[in-house]
This record gives sequence, structure tokens and C-alpha cells, in this order.
Amino acid sequence: MRNRLAGIFWSILFLAVPVLGVGVFAIAPSIDVWLPKDVSSHGKEIDSLFYFILALTGIVFIVTEMLLFWFIWKYDAAARGDEKATYIHGSHTLEVIWTIIPAVTMLFLAIYQMNAWADMKMRRPVMKPTVEVVARQFEWRLRYPGPDGDLGTPDDLFLVNDLHVPVDEDILIQLKSMDVLHSFFLPNLRMKQDAVPGMKIPVWFKATETGQYDLVCAELCGWGHYKMKGRITIESREDYDAWLEAKYREQEATQPEPMDEIL
Amino acid sequence: MTHFLPFLVTAMNRHSTFMCRNRFSLSPVALVLTVCGSLLFVSGCGKTPAASFRPNMVEAAKQRLKPEQEEQVATILEAMFGTPDNPIAMPETGLDIGKLRLAAGPVHSDIVGRKNGLFREHCSHCHGVTGDGMGPTAAFLNPYPRDYRPGWFKFKSTERADKPTHGDLVTILNNGIYGTSMPSFELLGEAKVDALVEYVKYLSMRGEAELNMMRYFFELDDEDEGKLPETRDFLVEEILLPVAERWQEAEDAVIEVPEMPEVDLAESIAMGKELFYGNKANCVKCHGVTALGDGQANDYDDWNKVVKQWSDEVQSSHEVSTKEMSREEKAEHREYLARADKALAGDALEPRTIQPRNLRQAIYRGGRRPIDFYYRIHAGINGAPMPAAAGTLTPDEIWHVVNYIRSLPYEFDGELGADRSMVARDRL
Ligand code: HEC
Ligand code: HEC
Ligand SMILES: [Cu+2]
Repeated sequence: MRNRLAGIFWSILFLAVPVLGVGVFAIAPSIDVWLPKDVSSHGKEIDSLFYFILALTGIVFIVTEMLLFWFIWKYDAAARGDEKATYIHGSHTLEVIWTIIPAVTMLFLAIYQMNAWADMKMRRPVMKPTVEVVARQFEWRLRYPGPDGDLGTPDDLFLVNDLHVPVDEDILIQLKSMDVLHSFFLPNLRMKQDAVPGMKIPVWFKATETGQYDLVCAELCGWGHYKMKGRITIESREDYDAWLEAKYREQEATQPEPMDEIL
Repeated sequence: MTHFLPFLVTAMNRHSTFMCRNRFSLSPVALVLTVCGSLLFVSGCGKTPAASFRPNMVEAAKQRLKPEQEEQVATILEAMFGTPDNPIAMPETGLDIGKLRLAAGPVHSDIVGRKNGLFREHCSHCHGVTGDGMGPTAAFLNPYPRDYRPGWFKFKSTERADKPTHGDLVTILNNGIYGTSMPSFELLGEAKVDALVEYVKYLSMRGEAELNMMRYFFELDDEDEGKLPETRDFLVEEILLPVAERWQEAEDAVIEVPEMPEVDLAESIAMGKELFYGNKANCVKCHGVTALGDGQANDYDDWNKVVKQWSDEVQSSHEVSTKEMSREEKAEHREYLARADKALAGDALEPRTIQPRNLRQAIYRGGRRPIDFYYRIHAGINGAPMPAAAGTLTPDEIWHVVNYIRSLPYEFDGELGADRSMVARDRL
């Protein structure tokens, strides 16, 4: 008699995958590893797309995993004695069905999300950049255009890692990279865009709430990738203007700052 | 890795007997999975060995120190400064042991949940645990991460030969050094940056104390028998204080900056331009007629120059004929060369030239405030070929040059500007 244990081991192992998979998703929000708080005007749309696709793929995932388990369990040779396997040539109808259903689903997704994609990547607000972000190993160099609104003029303001933007206004960022591929990622603003050396990529969003959030690099870019972390501060127009003014004054300093201000 | 191999073997043996008894035929795949899993698990639990400071091999070889002398230096250094995990701050150094503890040691959280080991978390992969500028990523970078041991710092508010102030180093950590791989650490917060700066000073003092000792063997009398006196007086007075005092003095050695003269900006820029190209300041010699940094470009930073000169020396010693030497001399000569080659290959990075700055990119390493430029031009850049202009230019003249420098990235109507307006496509 052949050993039934191996069949049980493998089928349970494959059953564990959907059980653990679904379990992790179920508890994720309660241990705070779910989507971070959304503070952008377009985030709702992105999130609902995400949930929609998650539900769709989730169902497919559970069904296929259960089938996998069931087949291993049921058709384990050890459990079926001397029963002979039958040879079938395949089912044309079945194959057509399982090709068409995913194809239609994919096509539907592609069309369904098109508007959201266009909003984020094509319908850029007509304005001059709010700030230029230059990614480099391993930091975010920022350049604000200053009072004249133009980049590349003597009143530009240079900063690093500490991105500020006004709330409830269209923000247009001009994204560049100085060295390798990076990815400009603002999780709370549902915004992620690769920075590509040699390209000037526009990125836009509108923040709906004030606060401080992470700016991280989402593309493995070298040894120090993990610490390529900045911060975005979303604040009222007045606070933003005051901050710009103060930073600009610092940049124009012709006398040393008092020690306690540096520290 | 080796210490848990026996464990693995027994585990596997046990595993296989278990399988035989139960006639439970797990496939090889499952076995491999199990083994890999336990391997990963066990290796994660392995203890890392305690870190140690690396001796300054280049200097030791250069000074031809004997093994027992090297050992003595290491012993004294450990007594004065402790180890990477356990720093000591002698009162004479003026260092704050609380801050040092925060920055030293392996990365871990203390009882109150505060992150320790900041230097190894953020800096040592470039600057090395010893602060010798030879962390694992260093060799790929240009310029190299700074070696703190000779105590040379570039971007500061003090005279060329003086140490930087605490505030200068804080500024460097906050802003990073744009145009080099040294990143900004501002978002770590004030307390952590402060602790890191203290630790940089600690490593620098330790490195300089080591150099002082290694060089002191030369000055010993015969009665010392090739050993440094190990009295507290000697070590403090001759070794430690000469270094520590210079760090403490720095706080009062900040360059006085007179107010910018009240001249029309355009006029000031014009005067600055004249000075820049004139014989007196002669900035053009290095920064080039276009200010693109394409003037003299074959010079080295001081630390690279030290290595370059010594390696040239060693190279020519290799070519010295040993014919005239006695057998002992020959052996000694050969031993010295072998040691020098080893130190140069293993404990020094290949010297690299320093390019004068391209002043049209608006990328400055030491900050872009007018006052930063004033300091840079007044005192030059310590460790780099850039000379101090304080002797030749008056403060007003320095301010004019500052204004000119600041206008350079935007100067489109000059000679260079005429060229620039032509886009690449038109040139083809
Ligand atoms: C990715 C590599 C890298 C990391 C990480 C790094 N540095 Fe540096 N650092 C450099 C380089 C390169 C230079 C030399 C720049 C130059 O010579 O112009 C430098 C220079 C310095 C200097 C000398 C500044 C001067 O005025 O001369 C100090 C001080 C310093 N680093 C401190 C730190 C500290 C503290 C940390 C950790 C918090 C750190 N660095 C992390 C690469 C790095
Ligand atoms: C002997 C050559 C030499 C001369 C002369 C010289 N420089 Fe430099 N300069 C350099 C080098 C080399 C650097 C780059 C140093 C570094 O990166 O550490 C530099 C850097 C600079 C920087 C950049 C500082 C920063 O923070 O990035 C400025 C500004 C500058 N020089 C201005 C001047 C002016 C103004 C003069 C004339 C008064 C002058 N230099 C004369 C070699 C020179
Ligand atoms: Cu990156």
C-alpha cells in the first residue's frame, strides 16, 4: 500500500496558502498595515479601483487555490487504490471559456480605469511647476521657483528632503533624477512616479488635509535606498507662504545664525 | 555560518530516521525547503562579533613602527577612547559621553525605546566604523567619504587651519553635501544629529591622537627604549590636549564677517567679475575662463595627496638597487616595501583628483548662502587646493566676488551665454 501521508501533507500545504492569505488580509487593517490615510483629492478613486481589483482577484485566488487543494486531495493515487487514470485529450470548450473570461475581465479593467489613469497621468493642470524634485542617491533635492514663479532664476530656493505644499490647491511637481532610477512615492497622496535620468516628468495632485506625511523612494536605487526618505508637509496657504519666506531668508543670510537656531 | 553546521547535520540525520520509521516519503523538495527554512532561521539568530577600530596601517608602515609599538598605540588608544561599542570620553576632550553612547555601538533600542547605534546605522557604510572613510561603499564614490582621522574638514566658518565648530558640522549633517554622495540627515531630528556630530568629533580626536602617537616614536630618547611613556601626564599633555584644545578653540575662532557693502548689485557683480579674472584673486586659474571648473584639474585633496606622495615614494624605493646593501639591510628594505604595499592596497583608497567646482551649475557643496561663499573665499577650502583669499582681497572685494559667483549660473549674456542659446539640435 502506498503512503497516504504524502498526499495529505501536500494538499494541506496548498490549503494553507489561501487560508493564510485571506487571514492576513482580514487582520491587516486592525494591525495597521493597511492602506495609509488618504489625503488627496483623487485618492478615493484610486482606492476604490484597488478594492475592486482586490475583490476580483481575491475571488479568483480563493477559487483556484481551493481547486488545487481539492484535486490533490481527491486524486491522490495512494487513496484511489488500483483505479486507473483515464486519458483525455483536453476540452476545447473549457479552454475557450477560461481564456475568454479572463480576457474580458482584463479588457474591462483596462477600460474601466482609463479615466482615473488619464486624470493622474495625462490631464495635467495648466500651470508652472510648484517645485522641482531631483532624486539622487539617497535624498530628494528640492528647488522652489521663488517669487517670480520661474525655475532657473536667481531667486530659486534650494532645499532637501523637506517638501512643503499648500493644501486644497493644484500642485505640479517637476520630477527629475540625477543618477539612477528612483520612484517618487507619497503613500498618503496615492502618488507614485518613477524618476528617470534624463527625463523631466510632471506629477500633479491636490492635497485635501494638512499634516506631515512620508515621502519615500519606491524603486530599489542602490545601497542606501532604504533611507531615501523625505517628508511632505501639507499646510495652509498662509503657513506655506510664511515658510517659503523664512527659508528664502535663511538662504540669503549674510551673517551667521545664532547657534541656538542652528541646533 | 560554520558553527551551526553540525546542528544541521544532526537535524538532517534525525529527520531521515524519522522518515524511515514512518515510511513517510517526503520528496527531496520538501527536505530542501525545510533545510533552507531552518538555515535562514538559525542564521538570523547568530550573534555578530563585537566591532573594533582599525589601526592606521598606512601611518604605522610609514613610520616603520615595530609590532610592539603598534600594539602599545592600540592599547593606549583603547584606554583613552574605548571601543566602538563602548566609548570613553576623557574630561580633557570635552566630549559628552551621553551623546557618544547614543551614536556608538551596534544598532539597537535601549530600555526607554530610544534608538542607539546611530553612526553604524547611518554613516559607517561610507565613513567606516573607525571613521577612516573606508566603509564598504567608499571605493565607488567620488569624492571619497571623508577620513576623519587626520582632522581635516572642508566646509566650516573658521579660518582654514582651524577645526569646524559644532554648528558647522550640524549644518553639514542637516544639508548634506550637494554634489557628493554625502546625504542630508536633517529629518533625523536635532538630538540625533547632535549626537552624531559629537561622535564625528570623537572619532576625529581619536584618529588624530593615534597619528600623534605614531609620530611621537621618532622623538623618543634612547632611555625610553622605543616605548611611549604611559603616564597620564604625558598622554594628556602631549597626545590628547594638542588635539582636544583645537576643537574647543574652534567655537571662538569663527571668521568675522563684515556687512555686505551697499553697492548696486549689478555694479558689485561687475567688480566681482573683474576680480575673478584678475591677477590678484586669480580664480580663473582653477575655475577656468568659462568658470566651468575646467582650469587646473590635476590636483588632489590633501588626504589623497598624502597617499599619492607616499605611494610614489614607495614606488621609487622599489626601483632602488639593493646591490650595495648588507644582508640585514636588504631584508629590512624588503620587509618595509612589502608592508607598504600591503598598507597601500588594503588600507588606502586609490588617490583621486579633485576638480575645481563648475560654478555654473548652482550646485555647491558647502552651502549656497552668501555667508557660506564668504567663508569659502575668505579661508579657502581646507584640505582642497582652493586657496584662502583673505590675504589678497579686502572684505568688500570678497563680497563682490561672492555676488559674482552667485550670478554665474544665471549669466546668459556673457561669452558663454552666446554659445548656450544654441540648442544641441541646431549644432548638428
Ligand atoms: C553615501 C555615503 C555617505 C554617508 C552615508 C555619509 N557620508 Fe559623510 N561624507 C560622504 C562624502 C563622500 C563626504 C566627502 C565630501 C567632500 O569631500 O566634499 C562626506 C563628508 C562628511 C563630513 C565632512 C564635512 C566637511 O565639512 O568636510 C562629515 C562631518 C560627515 N561626512 C559626516 C557624516 C555623518 C555623521 C554621517 C552619518 C549620519 C555621514 N557623513 C554619512 C559620504 C557619506
Ligand atoms: C588652486 C586652485 C583654485 C583657485 C585659485 C580657486 N579655487 Fe575655488 N575651488 C577649487 C577647488 C579644487 C574647489 C573644489 C573643492 C572641493 O570640492 O572641496 C573649489 C571650489 C570653489 C567653490 C565651491 C564651494 C562650494 O561650496 O561648493 C567656490 C564658490 C570657489 N571655489 C570660488 C573660488 C573663487 C571666488 C576663487 C578666487 C578668489 C577661487 N575659487 C580660486 C580650486 C581653486
Ligand atoms: Cu531612490
